[in-house]
Amino acid sequence: MTILATEGLTKRFPRVTALDQLSITVGTGVTGLVGANGAGKSTLIKILLGLLPATSGRAEVLGMDAATRGPEIRRVVGYMPEHECLPPDLSATEFVVHMAQMSGLPRTAARERAADILRHVGLHEERYRPIGGYSTGMRQRVKLAQALVHDPRLVFLDEPTNGLDPQGRDDMLALIRRVGAEFGISVLVTSHLLGELERVCDHVIVIDGGALLRSSAIGEFTQATQAIAVEVEEGLEPLAARLAELGEAVAVQGRILTVQVRSEGTFDAVRDAVCDLDLHLVRLEQRRGRIEDVFKEPAA
Amino acid sequence: MTEHTAIIHDIGYRHYEGPRLGRGSAARALTLHSLRGVFGLGRTTRAKIIPFLLVAIMVLPAVVSIAVMALAKQPGIPYYSYAVAMQAVLAIFLASQAPYLVAPDLRYRVLPLYLSRPVTVLDYVGAKLVAMTTALFLLLAVPLTVMYVGELLVDLPGPPRTHDYIASVVSTLLIALLLASIGLALASFTPRRGLGVASVIAFYLFTSAVSGVFYAVLVSTGREAAAGWTMLISPFFLVDSVQVALFGTPPANSGGYPAGPWPALILLAVIALALTALISRYRKAASS
Repeated sequence: MTILATEGLTKRFPRVTALDQLSITVGTGVTGLVGANGAGKSTLIKILLGLLPATSGRAEVLGMDAATRGPEIRRVVGYMPEHECLPPDLSATEFVVHMAQMSGLPRTAARERAADILRHVGLHEERYRPIGGYSTGMRQRVKLAQALVHDPRLVFLDEPTNGLDPQGRDDMLALIRRVGAEFGISVLVTSHLLGELERVCDHVIVIDGGALLRSSAIGEFTQATQAIAVEVEEGLEPLAARLAELGEAVAVQGRILTVQVRSEGTFDAVRDAVCDLDLHLVRLEQRRGRIEDVFKEPAA
Repeated sequence: MTEHTAIIHDIGYRHYEGPRLGRGSAARALTLHSLRGVFGLGRTTRAKIIPFLLVAIMVLPAVVSIAVMALAKQPGIPYYSYAVAMQAVLAIFLASQAPYLVAPDLRYRVLPLYLSRPVTVLDYVGAKLVAMTTALFLLLAVPLTVMYVGELLVDLPGPPRTHDYIASVVSTLLIALLLASIGLALASFTPRRGLGVASVIAFYLFTSAVSGVFYAVLVSTGREAAAGWTMLISPFFLVDSVQVALFGTPPANSGGYPAGPWPALILLAVIALALTALISRYRKAASS
């Protein structure tokens, strides 16, 4: 099922072209929107919310034209901006209740929903304290909660892991996965860090310079390049030379040897070479293809 | 062996099946939330001190006036000049509360969260304007009404001053709208709350001083007609001049105002200017 679609979407500002003939379709589940800073991700979200008119082309969200039915779209869509957007003197509860009312929920329903959603994002007793005293991780949770409080059908998350430490990043990614899988709310999540999206997304769209670079299911990204990483205590060079002799594609990256998997035989070749050279094997692991690689590949 | 332990059942995510009201309901909720906030309701105790203190100061003369009417059987403070007499209190209330209404949402960039919902820029600005206008109206209309009810109860000789009361309530509405539009516009251009307070107070002092100085200079040089015009620089005298033109009440200043429709037109023009500035400020903030 198509959640949103754009067709030839173009947005020109006086000095830059933010989106250039962008045509994408997004289905249910979690979709990652990847691009460097300035690739046009935030502009795309604003157009999809009906807050910014496109220069040309069409955008449709949940079957509604973004150019003409913005208010209807905004009733059933949630938005978590990239920037800080929380008033420090309110508590998370007060703030999220207020935002629920702004989405059209009656006051009692707003209270119930706010309590529910704050629990789901993992804010407990601290939700009664003023937001000014929260950590970055807690603030991000409040931002996510306000985007979900009205139970949208689709939620736009703009760089939700920005500024988080590794633990906070993992928590946020797990939460996003839950929103898509457990809550049944479709997610469009942007990031300039590609590696983290492959952990939570069903589908990834890569844009660069406002144009589509690639759009495919997550499986296709990681299948494209399959490689194994080999680490030995000493003698990396002889091993690389031996494997190269056998016709394997090898590359030395620091202390790690990356070997492209041509067939099942590659694994045997690595094992035999290590034994023959009498090396101490420290690590032998499958290296998944990274979404980063799409920037190196020609556009599909 | 079974061991009984307390278990918290995670009932999982529940979808919301209830009503989703429209823009109007969101705008009403925002208006009410803002109006409560102006008086410090739903905020910290500290935030309640200034508004409640100012309300008390506003009501005090009305109470005294009732006492005078009851004891001396004399008419109390005139209704039509209450606003001009209490102008400093109204100005302080505006300066302390208008920045609260608009500054934090701009400074902490909460505005995009409103605009990503059914609420539009005009809904948002409208809600803030209605809240501030209502607050100022209540601040002034409550003591006037208390005084009028007091006058009816005391039952002075002669008819009650109903005409004056109605005139003052109508001009209260005008002064509330004028002050709210100017105050919110000034505060919206200075997202730091402290600066907003300072700019509104500065505006009040400046207009009062300028109109006062020009008036005195022009009167002393014998140009009474021109002096009347300079009084209109002060928002309080501007509304008073409209009240004089509409209801024929005695002017709160000694010299009188220019006759004809001009004061009313100037009042409308100033309100329109302030609202245009306010809305364009938010249109700009929304697109950034």
